[in-house]
Amino acid sequence: MKIIVAIKQVPERDAPMRIAGKWIEEADLQFAMNEPDAYALEEALQLREKHGGEVAVVSVGPERAGATIREALAKGADRAIHIVCEDLAARDALGVARLLAAAIRPENPDLVLTGLQSEDLGLGQTGVIVAELLGLPHSTLILQVEKTGGGENRIRVKRELEAGWFQFIEMPTPAALTIQSGGNKLRYATLMGIKRAKTKEVRTLAAAELDAGGEPVVRLEQISLPKKQKSTQILPGTGKEAAAALVEKLKFEVRVL
Amino acid sequence: MTVVLPSPAEPGHFLLAEKLIFAALLIASVALFWRRFGPVLRRILESKKDPDFRLAPVSGRVRDFVWEVMLQARVIRERPLPGFAHALVFWAFCAFALVTVNHCAVIFGSGFLDPNGIAGRFYFCFAAAFAVACAAGILGLFLRRFFVRPRWLGPLSRESGLIALLIFLLMVTYLAAFFVSAASPAARALWWAHTLTLLFFLPVIPHTKHLHLVLSPFAVFLSRGGFSRIPPLAGDEDFGLVAGRDLTQLASLQAYSCVECGRCTEHCPASNTGKILNPKQVVLGLRAYLNEYGPKSEEPLIGRHESQEAIFKCTTCGACEYQCPVGIEHLPIIVGLRRGAVNTGEWQDSHGAKLFLALERGSNALGLSASERDRFVEKNALPIYDGTQEYCLWLGCMGGYDPKGREIILSLVRVMNHLGVTFGVLRKEKCTGDPVRRLGNDLVFQQLAESNLEALKSSNTRKIVSICPHCVRTIQEDWKEFGAPPPVEHHSEFLARYASRLPPAQDRKKIVFHDPCYLGRYRGVYDEPRAVAALAGQVVDPERSRERSFCCGAGGGLAFLGEETGERVSHARAKELTATGAQVVGAACPFCNTMFRDALAAQGPGAPELLDIAQLAAQGLPKNDPI
Repeated sequence: MKIIVAIKQVPERDAPMRIAGKWIEEADLQFAMNEPDAYALEEALQLREKHGGEVAVVSVGPERAGATIREALAKGADRAIHIVCEDLAARDALGVARLLAAAIRPENPDLVLTGLQSEDLGLGQTGVIVAELLGLPHSTLILQVEKTGGGENRIRVKRELEAGWFQFIEMPTPAALTIQSGGNKLRYATLMGIKRAKTKEVRTLAAAELDAGGEPVVRLEQISLPKKQKSTQILPGTGKEAAAALVEKLKFEVRVL
Repeated sequence: MTVVLPSPAEPGHFLLAEKLIFAALLIASVALFWRRFGPVLRRILESKKDPDFRLAPVSGRVRDFVWEVMLQARVIRERPLPGFAHALVFWAFCAFALVTVNHCAVIFGSGFLDPNGIAGRFYFCFAAAFAVACAAGILGLFLRRFFVRPRWLGPLSRESGLIALLIFLLMVTYLAAFFVSAASPAARALWWAHTLTLLFFLPVIPHTKHLHLVLSPFAVFLSRGGFSRIPPLAGDEDFGLVAGRDLTQLASLQAYSCVECGRCTEHCPASNTGKILNPKQVVLGLRAYLNEYGPKSEEPLIGRHESQEAIFKCTTCGACEYQCPVGIEHLPIIVGLRRGAVNTGEWQDSHGAKLFLALERGSNALGLSASERDRFVEKNALPIYDGTQEYCLWLGCMGGYDPKGREIILSLVRVMNHLGVTFGVLRKEKCTGDPVRRLGNDLVFQQLAESNLEALKSSNTRKIVSICPHCVRTIQEDWKEFGAPPPVEHHSEFLARYASRLPPAQDRKKIVFHDPCYLGRYRGVYDEPRAVAALAGQVVDPERSRERSFCCGAGGGLAFLGEETGERVSHARAKELTATGAQVVGAACPFCNTMFRDALAAQGPGAPELLDIAQLAAQGLPKNDPI
C-alpha cells in the first residue's frame, strides 16, 4: 500500500500570540507538527506495518518546515517531499491544496491521509479540496482505517459523529481521508529514528515550479485575538430561588430553553 | 628466659616422586583455573572500551581501594557482623599469600620463610593469628548461610559450602602443623593435606562466585566514579545497551565481579514491594548473556537474560549501587538497558509515550499548558530573573504546575524575602529532563538540556536554587554533556546557611525527616535539611534513614508510569515514617511530597501532617511578613 500523508508545521501550543499585519509574529514562536497530522501519520505507519508498502510525507511550508518533515521521517516515514513556500499565510486552502495535489498526483498513491484540520487556522478544508482536485473519493473525521476482506481495493473506515456516535463506511481505494486526533496512540520520537532520518530522501520542490497557480478565492481581511470577557452573574437567594431565577434568564435573556 | 615463638612443622626433605607429583598437580590446577578464567578475562577485554573512562586522578582510586578493599570498610559498614567475618577471611588471605608461596617453595627446598629464624617465626605466628580469626570467620559465615539463611542470599548454594570447607581446611591444616614435630609423618601428611586443598581450591574459584576474589579489587579500583553516572553515547550507532556489542569493559568486569551477596536486592524498593525487578538478577543476567553470546554479539540484551518489564520498575533510588561491596554500578547498567529500549523505540508503554510526547512538544512533565506557569508567576508577582538578582529560583515542573509544589515555592519565597536575598524566576523554563533521562530517552533529554542551557545563558544566570533534588542533580551532573550549567544548590543547602537568621517556630513539633534519594545518596546532603527542619521542632529519623533511606517510589520517571503492581513503595515508606509517632513528616523533594500526600491520606485520620522543609522554615516567620 502506498500512502501519502500531508503534514503541516504549526505554531507550538501555548505560543505567545502577537498580531503582525495579517498574520501572527513568527519570531516569538516555536513550531511543531500539527497534531491531527501526527495522527494521520501514525495511522499510515500502522497500515504499513500491517500490510507493507510505503509511507511518504508531503508538506507545504517555508524552510523551517524541514524540522517537522525530519520528525515525520524519524517516526518512520520512508521519504518526504517538501514544497518550499515562503508565503503560506497568504494562500487560501485552495491554493495550498493545489500545491499538494500537484505534488501528489504523479505519485499515484493508494491512500492520501491528512489531519482533519490545522491547529493554527482550523479551516478543515485542505484535505477535502485535495481529494476533489485529485478526483478521489474521500471521507472526513476518520479514527480508524482497515482493509476489508471484500477485495484488494476496499477499505473500511470508522468515522466520528456527534455525541459519541460512530459511522462505519466501506469505500474503494485510491481514496483521501482526513484523520481525527485520538484514534491511535502516537509513537514517541527516538534517537535511532532521528539518526536514520538523516539518510532518508527529502525531495524539495519550489512552489513556483509546480505550476499550481490560480487566484485565491478567499481574501483575508484581518485577524484579531479573541477578546477575554467575563460576565459572571451571581444569582442571590436560596437554592430554589436561584434556580428559578436561572431558568428565567435562560428562557428570556439567553433564549436557550 | 627467652620466649621462643613456635613455628609450623615442615617436612625436612621430599622424595623426587613427591616433587614430580606436586609439579604435575600444580600445573593441572593452574591449567584448570585458566581454562575457566581465560575466557572470562577475554570476554571482559573484548568488550567495548568505556568512552568516558579516565584513570586519573589515581589518588582517589587508591583511596577507595584502600578503604573499600583493603580495609573492607563498605563490607563491614553495611552488614557489620557478617561484614567483619568476611573481613577476617579477607585479611587472612592477604596474610597467607606469603605463607602459601613459601609453602609451595618448600618442596623444592627453596622455602624463604625460615621456621627457625626470628623473622620467619614471627611471620608464621602472625599468619597463625589470622588463620584462627579466619577459621572463626568462615565458620560464622557458614552458619549464617546454612542455618540463619537470610532470604537475600537466595537458595542454598552447595558451592558456598564447599568453599567454606576448603577455607576451613586450609586454616586447620596450617594451624595443626604447629603441634607436630618436623620429623613426624604427621608433618608430611599435613603438608600434603594443605597442598591438595590449595590446588583444589584454585580451579574452583573461577567456577563460582568466588571469582570476586580475583576481579572485585579491579572493579573497585576501576569504577567510573561519581554516583549513578550515566556515560555519554559514543557516536551515531550508540543507543545505549541494546546488544552485547554495547557492553563496555567496565560493565563486563562488574558483571563477573558480582559476589551474589544480595545487598542490592535487600535494599531495593521495587524488590521489597513485590515488583519483578531484582537488581542482582540484572547483573547476573549480563553475566549469563556474556557466557552465552559473548561481548560482540548482536543478540538483544533484553530477552532470555534481561527482562524489559523489570528494568522499567527501577526508581533509580541508587540503594543497590550504594550498597554494593564489589563496586558494581547498577544504575548505568539499568539506565543503559532503558536507553537501549527507548532510543530504538522497542519500549512501548502508553504512560511512557505520553510523557515523552508531552516533553517533545510541551514544556513540562505534567503535560500542562505552559501558560499555567505564567499565570502562577503573574498571580504571585514573582520577579523575573534579569541577571541582577543573586539567585535564579528554578521552579521545576512541580514548583511551577503542581498545587503543593507551588506552596513549597511560595514558602521559600517568603523566607528569601524575609532574609532579603534577591532572586528571580525565568520567564520560560522547561523540564530539566530528569524523568526522560532516567527512562533512557536521550533525544528528548538532549533537547530539554540544550534549550534550558540556552535560556540560562541568555538570562546570564550565575546561581540557581531549586526545591527539587531531581532538578538539582540533572542540572548539575547530567547537563554537563551538553554545556556548562551554572552552579546549582538545593534549597536545604541554601536554608541551612541562613538557619541562624530565621526565627524558630513557637509551636514545636516532633518531625520525622525522610531523606530523598536524589538529595542523600546522589548528593551526599543529609545534615542540612535536618538543620532546617529543626527550626520547627525536634527532628527524628525513621527506621531507615540517611544513606539507607528507603525510596518514596517516584524516581526514575516512575511517578509518570501509572499504577504500580504489588504494594506501593510510598505506602511501605509512609508506614515507617508514621511508626515514629511524629506529628509531621518533613520532606525535601516535591516528588516525595506528592507520593506521601496520597500514602498518608490512605492512612486515614491521625496520619501525620506533611510539610516540606521550606514550609517548616517559614513557620516561625512573623505573620505580617510580605510574600
